[in-house]
Amino acid sequence: MKKILALVLVAVLALGMVACAPAGNEEVFKVGAIYINSKNDTAGYTYAHHNGITTAMKSLGMDVDKQLVIVDEVPEDKQKVAAAIDTLVGKGAKIIFGISFGYIDAMEEAAAKYPDVIFSHGTGYKSNETNFNNYFGRAYQARYLAGIAAGLKSLETGNNNVGYVAAHTTDYAETASGINGFALGVQAVNPNAKIYVKNLNNWADEVNEKAYAEELINSYNCGVISQHCDSAQPQIAAQNANVFGCGYNSDMTPDAPKAHLTAAIWNWNVYYATAIKAAQECGEAKNFVTKMGGSAYYGGLKEGFVDVSPLSENCAAGTDKAIEAVRALMVSGEWDVFSGVKLNITVTDGVANVEKVNAALESNGFEYKDGDFKVPMDNVVVVEAGDPSVADGVITGTMNYLVRGVQEV
Amino acid sequence: MRIHIVKRENCSLLQKCGLYVGAVLIALVLGGVLLLSIGVDPIAYYTEMFTMGTIGNRIAYKTFMNYLKDFVPLVLTSVALSLAFKMRFWNIGGEGQFIMGAIATAWVAIKLGGVLPTAVVLILMCLAAMVAAGLYGLLVAALKVKFGTNETLLTLMLNYVALYVLTYLLETKAAWNFFLEPTALRPVPQSFDNVVSFPSIPLGGKFALNICVILALAVGALIYVYLKYTKQGYEIAVVGDSAGTARYAGMKVNRIVLRTVFLSACLVGLAAAFKVGTVGTISTTITNDVGWTGIIVAWLSQLNTGVIFVVSALICVLHTGSVEAAASFSRVDSSFANMLQGVILFLILAADFFIRFRVVITKKGDRNHG
Repeated sequence: MKKILALVLVAVLALGMVACAPAGNEEVFKVGAIYINSKNDTAGYTYAHHNGITTAMKSLGMDVDKQLVIVDEVPEDKQKVAAAIDTLVGKGAKIIFGISFGYIDAMEEAAAKYPDVIFSHGTGYKSNETNFNNYFGRAYQARYLAGIAAGLKSLETGNNNVGYVAAHTTDYAETASGINGFALGVQAVNPNAKIYVKNLNNWADEVNEKAYAEELINSYNCGVISQHCDSAQPQIAAQNANVFGCGYNSDMTPDAPKAHLTAAIWNWNVYYATAIKAAQECGEAKNFVTKMGGSAYYGGLKEGFVDVSPLSENCAAGTDKAIEAVRALMVSGEWDVFSGVKLNITVTDGVANVEKVNAALESNGFEYKDGDFKVPMDNVVVVEAGDPSVADGVITGTMNYLVRGVQEV
Repeated sequence: MRIHIVKRENCSLLQKCGLYVGAVLIALVLGGVLLLSIGVDPIAYYTEMFTMGTIGNRIAYKTFMNYLKDFVPLVLTSVALSLAFKMRFWNIGGEGQFIMGAIATAWVAIKLGGVLPTAVVLILMCLAAMVAAGLYGLLVAALKVKFGTNETLLTLMLNYVALYVLTYLLETKAAWNFFLEPTALRPVPQSFDNVVSFPSIPLGGKFALNICVILALAVGALIYVYLKYTKQGYEIAVVGDSAGTARYAGMKVNRIVLRTVFLSACLVGLAAAFKVGTVGTISTTITNDVGWTGIIVAWLSQLNTGVIFVVSALICVLHTGSVEAAASFSRVDSSFANMLQGVILFLILAADFFIRFRVVITKKGDRNHG
């Protein structure tokens, strides 16, 4: 035993000598990232971002193994985020992406502490004028398109009840705007549709994601199940019950081939490529926000940042035509979802007809305030008929209501 | 053939060191094979790990400062737990006591920070944390003394009670909830590091030594003296060896148990105060698992206060180094780094077994007992 130990010891020491040779100090552009889950995930939120960053880096001709440094499984704990930032700055990262909302304060402080490093915060709202921006996407636009697919399916099946399993509802603008975007898409096709929402109150809860979908199908007779949660469980539940569904984050057709219509998806690489390129070209870190053209990046269908996944064979006839027509309206900037103009979409014999009608955007009468989901609203009209869309700040920050026709159950 | 496990009487220091070093080396070789299998150079990885990534790091001083932020709560919690363990009171409620201390610290800091002088607030933060954590521990000791309840189960379960209380406080956005940032749109814990925090002493360059490090060393020295040279320390040892003997000798065992557990939990609370007062905010992961890691540290150190400092320091190198190394290698995630840490600790515990016992193999028919 002792001999073996001695041998191992000698071997390790010998190898250690070799390893201590100084590493080359060539100046390479390093990208840093802080993830909430593991960088080796194969699905879900962290995977989507990691895939986005690596895809973007490869498209820019960068070597992921050498130029990407990551601290993963970092909880939303200010000290841990600050320590992770110190680690990445120490390793020479020139731009650091933080993907989780709760990293916000640590990133803001780090931006002031390290003015020569660029900080870019996903889903947040803080920024400065020099080296700190935030980024998010108009997921509601993609959800509107998915809503059209769901609405057409509900017309085809004759079942007006649509279900939605949501991580949160009106307590987060991100989820509220997602539910509303989807609901308005459904209603544009099927004015009689009712959307039932179940609140998971958790960003990741696979067990309830499935159970809530089953409840929506069994108790509320929903014929299409949409979702704002990571796993494909609601789609699988829809398939098991012989109904249909719209996924989220990634194309879920492989998970539920008989049920899935289309999913609202993110192409994070679109932003990451733009940001990394800007960081490389802006010279000093302080020019980054100017180079990006503002401190909040909010890309949508136009930039290709959000989209719907390829339509499956389960979609009703004419879905593709309807979606293309509405997509064109949003890409050109001619129309947007949360405005005082409603779309009436009809599909006859595979031809889509899109009609614009002035109509007020109304809530279902309740808003979220200080922990209470059912505060009655004085004025249910959110946007007067004919008025332009609500400000981006509402969609990302203060939307705390659901539109008419949506019911939380 | 029969295998006996025989208690080892006198294991020399050299043998002990040999066994520990051997355990670490075996763990590294095992890890090395795994690293090779995913295409990572083990030597480069280990170099980065054991230097905590400080070679070629442009802000290495930061790494050391962050290292100390992890070290102080761990060492204090380990010392605190060892007090109770010495008395054979299985306080595995370090996590819960730490959380209660953290909530009390934040409460005082948010309510009194900026109102009273900083030094006063800092002292009050420590006292509040010690009382809150101390009472949380005392509750279990009182139940054990009064009703003979099992302290292992109770302290364990109270960990989760505390965690859910903290989670509730940090995730419930409401007008009354002063633990959250009032202006934030979503539940974000209040930060108070620019209002009140433990000061640091600049030590040349950019490195500044947080006063908590010095305080932790002082507390460690006091506990060492307390255990070794005071009557109360002696009582703890006697109760630990045999409660019956202690009773026979006229010691008030119940009182000793209550006092010691309170002190143990108080110190865990102090660790929480140091942590929260240094980082200036709370979170649901504020404990950094010290309540669990502290148990391992206390036992690896065989409840020896001085050794606890050394073992804590080494475990923190392992923690910090794992994060640093995993960051540089895109194929290694923190789960792998955690697993490697687990393998190292497991083998060290195995070595510990071989230090206390030896395995004797006797041939069939051999009647000699080992």
